[in-house]
Amino acid sequence: MKIRTSEYFIREVFLSLKRNNWMSVASIGTVAVSLFIFGMFLMMVMNMNKLAQSLESQVQINVYLEDSVTHDSARELETDLKSLQGVEAVKFVSREEAMERFKERLGDQKSLLEALDDDNPLPDAFEVTITRPELVKDTAASIEKLDGVESAKYGQDVMEHLFEMTRLLRIFGFSLMLVLALATLFIISNTIRLTVFARRKEIAIMKYVGATDWFIRWPFMLEGMVLGLFGSLIAAVILRTAYTATVEKIYDTLAFFPLIPEQPFLNYITVIVIFSGMAIGAVGSAVSIKRFLKV
Amino acid sequence: MAAGDARVSCREMRLDLMIHMKNVMKVYDNGAVALDNINVDIRKGEFVFLVGPSGAGKSTFIKMLFREVLPTSGILTLNGRDIVRMPVGDVPYLRRSLGVIFQDYRLLPDKTVYENIAFAMQVIEAPRRMMQRSVNSVLDIVGLRDKYKCFPNQLSGGEQQRVAIARAIVNNPAIVIADEPTGNLDPETSWGIMDIFQRINAAGTTIVMATHDKTIVDAMQKRVIAIEDGAIARDEAQGGYGYEN
Repeated sequence: MKIRTSEYFIREVFLSLKRNNWMSVASIGTVAVSLFIFGMFLMMVMNMNKLAQSLESQVQINVYLEDSVTHDSARELETDLKSLQGVEAVKFVSREEAMERFKERLGDQKSLLEALDDDNPLPDAFEVTITRPELVKDTAASIEKLDGVESAKYGQDVMEHLFEMTRLLRIFGFSLMLVLALATLFIISNTIRLTVFARRKEIAIMKYVGATDWFIRWPFMLEGMVLGLFGSLIAAVILRTAYTATVEKIYDTLAFFPLIPEQPFLNYITVIVIFSGMAIGAVGSAVSIKRFLKV
Repeated sequence: MAAGDARVSCREMRLDLMIHMKNVMKVYDNGAVALDNINVDIRKGEFVFLVGPSGAGKSTFIKMLFREVLPTSGILTLNGRDIVRMPVGDVPYLRRSLGVIFQDYRLLPDKTVYENIAFAMQVIEAPRRMMQRSVNSVLDIVGLRDKYKCFPNQLSGGEQQRVAIARAIVNNPAIVIADEPTGNLDPETSWGIMDIFQRINAAGTTIVMATHDKTIVDAMQKRVIAIEDGAIARDEAQGGYGYEN
């Protein structure tokens, strides 16, 4: 594109933004709101994915042994466990080790355990990690059938609920994002339609004197992209601030909750939001102007 | 014969022809036949009046020349270029070789006289150093050099039409197409406009002008093509208007 043509385009864009100032402000606002909600859902879905992943990767089965099982037969049991389908690793936790961990976890309150004297009520156990989270149910069931196993436990209900919730959130989040994207497209295309309509005579004259369609289209597309850019910048700033605040709050109260760290996550989100805003702006304008180019 | 079958033979590409129409027919989507079997040749440098009752097909004839309307069938070449088979992407470049003038001037109200004319060069990305010289030179031709800073609403109708003419000729078109250019003007002003057209024509530009102005057509003794009911009723080298106003 020639330099003076770009100058012309840029001048046209800002003239038109100024001319339709209220409509421009309104569309920037709508873009900002839509992209904010879009960004929020994107962040939520991504965080839920991460949570689900981290919980999935943590799925393990605690196999508690009957008190009668000796260390020798425990070793046999270990080989049996390892040969089961879907089992990745098996770790033996002796009752003494379990007691130590328990004390550690109690921390300051470990004096409570003094009441037990030296009796250790905890059983020997295996921690079984499995290759795929979906296998957890079947694997736990077959472990419980083995001799010497008292019980095999994992967070059955929690896991099932979480899988279901993640799935729903993904579906809901993505459909909502699609709807919002269409709504934003519609709003921008309407704003640009006003500009285009106000300048339909100018467009017709441009066609008569031999301007190419792209020459006519560019200023409007740029205008849409500028509207999208401003709106998405606002949305990005709010999203960044809100996420940082949320992360801080959650670290204070629910430290175990595995949120995605702010960097570089927020930069990705910013890029996605700005790119979507500008793309929607450009497409919205292209849609509005199409009809007026038929001269 | 469908438009797609119309091939332009060498004989039809005669170099001295500006406009060549052969068996041109136009049927609108609603079934109305606007033009039927039109055969016209207009040589380069000719001055042609297009006359006839309203609704007879003059506008369709004019619109086909700058390809706002495509013939349904037949051959139509302009300055040696086949308009019918021309790809859509080439239409802007076709229009750069012709100047169009309308009854209602079609100036941009928020641009000055100078800007209105320069606009026609701007949108075809003409070099800027040429712009000032070309705009000044066409302002001289239409006699509005001293009004270059005015806005259209500060000008009389005749002056506005002269700006529109300046805009139409600023890119040096080979042909000027005018649709009722004096339709909104009083007789005296109209003669001023015709005087400009004659000077443009004398410089070699072909002019096709649709008009209802009997006095002008009768006085100028140029070629007259009369269109009635979508057909050519009369084509005289030095004709008169031929209708009672």
